[in-house]
Amino acid sequence: MDQGLGVSRRGYLGSTFGLPDFALSVAQLWHSRDLLWHMTVRHLRGQYKQSILGYAWAFVNPLSMMLILSFVFSQIIRIESPGDVPYPLFVLMGLLPWIFFSSALGSATDSVVGAASLVTKVYFPREILPTAAVLTKVVDVGFGLVILAALMFFFGHAPPMTVVWVPLIFAIQLLFTLGLSYPLAALNLYFHDVRFLVGVALSLLFYMTPVIYPVDIVPERYHIIFDLNPNALFIDAYRRAVLMDISPGADRLLLGLLIALLTFLIGYYLFKKMEPGFADRI
Amino acid sequence: MLTGYELNAIEFHQVSKRFQLQEGRTLREFIPAFVQGRGFSHPFFALQDVSFSVARGETLGLIGRNGSGKSTALKLMAGVMVATKGAVRVNGRVSPLIELGAGFHPDLSGRENVFMNASILGMSGKEIRSKFDEIVSFAELSDFIDTPVKRYSSGMYMRLGFSVAVHSTPDILLVDEVLAVGDAAFQDKCMAKMREFQAQGVTIVMVTHALEMVKEFCHRAILLEGGHLVAEGPPAEVVQHYTETIVHTEEMVISP
Repeated sequence: MDQGLGVSRRGYLGSTFGLPDFALSVAQLWHSRDLLWHMTVRHLRGQYKQSILGYAWAFVNPLSMMLILSFVFSQIIRIESPGDVPYPLFVLMGLLPWIFFSSALGSATDSVVGAASLVTKVYFPREILPTAAVLTKVVDVGFGLVILAALMFFFGHAPPMTVVWVPLIFAIQLLFTLGLSYPLAALNLYFHDVRFLVGVALSLLFYMTPVIYPVDIVPERYHIIFDLNPNALFIDAYRRAVLMDISPGADRLLLGLLIALLTFLIGYYLFKKMEPGFADRI
Repeated sequence: MLTGYELNAIEFHQVSKRFQLQEGRTLREFIPAFVQGRGFSHPFFALQDVSFSVARGETLGLIGRNGSGKSTALKLMAGVMVATKGAVRVNGRVSPLIELGAGFHPDLSGRENVFMNASILGMSGKEIRSKFDEIVSFAELSDFIDTPVKRYSSGMYMRLGFSVAVHSTPDILLVDEVLAVGDAAFQDKCMAKMREFQAQGVTIVMVTHALEMVKEFCHRAILLEGGHLVAEGPPAEVVQHYTETIVHTEEMVISP
């Protein structure tokens, strides 16, 4: 019997979500790891099930974006990628983390609203929903890496030793993405405007993040904007590690980790504060 | 605060549940209302100052008209909703039989949905694997378990949902009108399973309009009316009280 995880404590969970509750809800989340796994698999299996190409669609988005951006920004408008990195490689290394961030955030925002029939009937830790939505997109990153590897082979660009940094950078980016997705998923229940707001914000942010251009060409006085954008930091770190044989720098990573951790803690806290009202709002 | 609650599976202590009847849920409607300081929504009490308890192993019937607060009470027990005032205590693993198959994904097979639904109900992967065959054979779906559930008939859908829920070894089973659907043979099977649960000492709370079933099956009944608890006691008496009040209100409606 799971007495410790019974319903009785949920009455006060929303009102004062303190440190002990935090530990308790992490324990509960651990208890529900099977559910998280099944939920992620469900998303994944459901995602492309109706389509003829199936999982091949996971390649289409980054590949087509990479091709069109490479054409526009290396043939029509010339953007110099730093070092001897070919532009298609340079842009793909920015696109993959960006597509992960934006698709994960978009799908997580709709995750709780989309599971209305479940949320109003059964209790389970609700953070499972946005977490599973984000984890589903991790698989797409895997497909993206296949394209990247193929493109690197095509350009004869061997991966340097510094690629060992990539899992760490990704872990930090994942933490940051989760941290943003929790409050957005919760707020979207209260105001359906949130999903549209997220859509607009993401398309604006795409241009304010160094995906199609390197940060180096940004005038000095605007650097502050990019310093405040964690995705700029992550993308820069990936490019250095994968394409340029430069380690991302411990101080930069530590800053990224700090921002990600703070975002995660605040985001999770806000989500848990709003959670008791979910079923009332759907 | 509550004494001897270990003996009880469920305790409601002066529970009220208020809903905000919303005018809308876009920022365009919210911001003017917020700025002008008027309320964004109208409060509505689905339950008001309701206290009762359900002992371990007891079967309780919740009756009342539509909108009397029965389903809200069930949702509070399931932990889906949180009381506005008062305390709800639930001791043990709750399995809600509320609208079976709610979590089914139409494109996934029966097999995948069993794993999905069972884990939502708190079963571990190991537990599900060990009971999988039992779940499938109880639902009589052995031949169709790898078919996407969107191809299922509503009866098949419901049987699978019921089977998963009853195999989740609940301490407390919450039943909301689900036994009203399905053919006679499967209904008998469900009732047999419920009797088995009763014998095992599982606490059962059922919301139903089938008053005969309440009389026959429940140990005790509660009548809710407009969010208030108006009668509590032996099922036969509470059911009689209910039928009398229905007749009474119908007379009032007809007479003018």
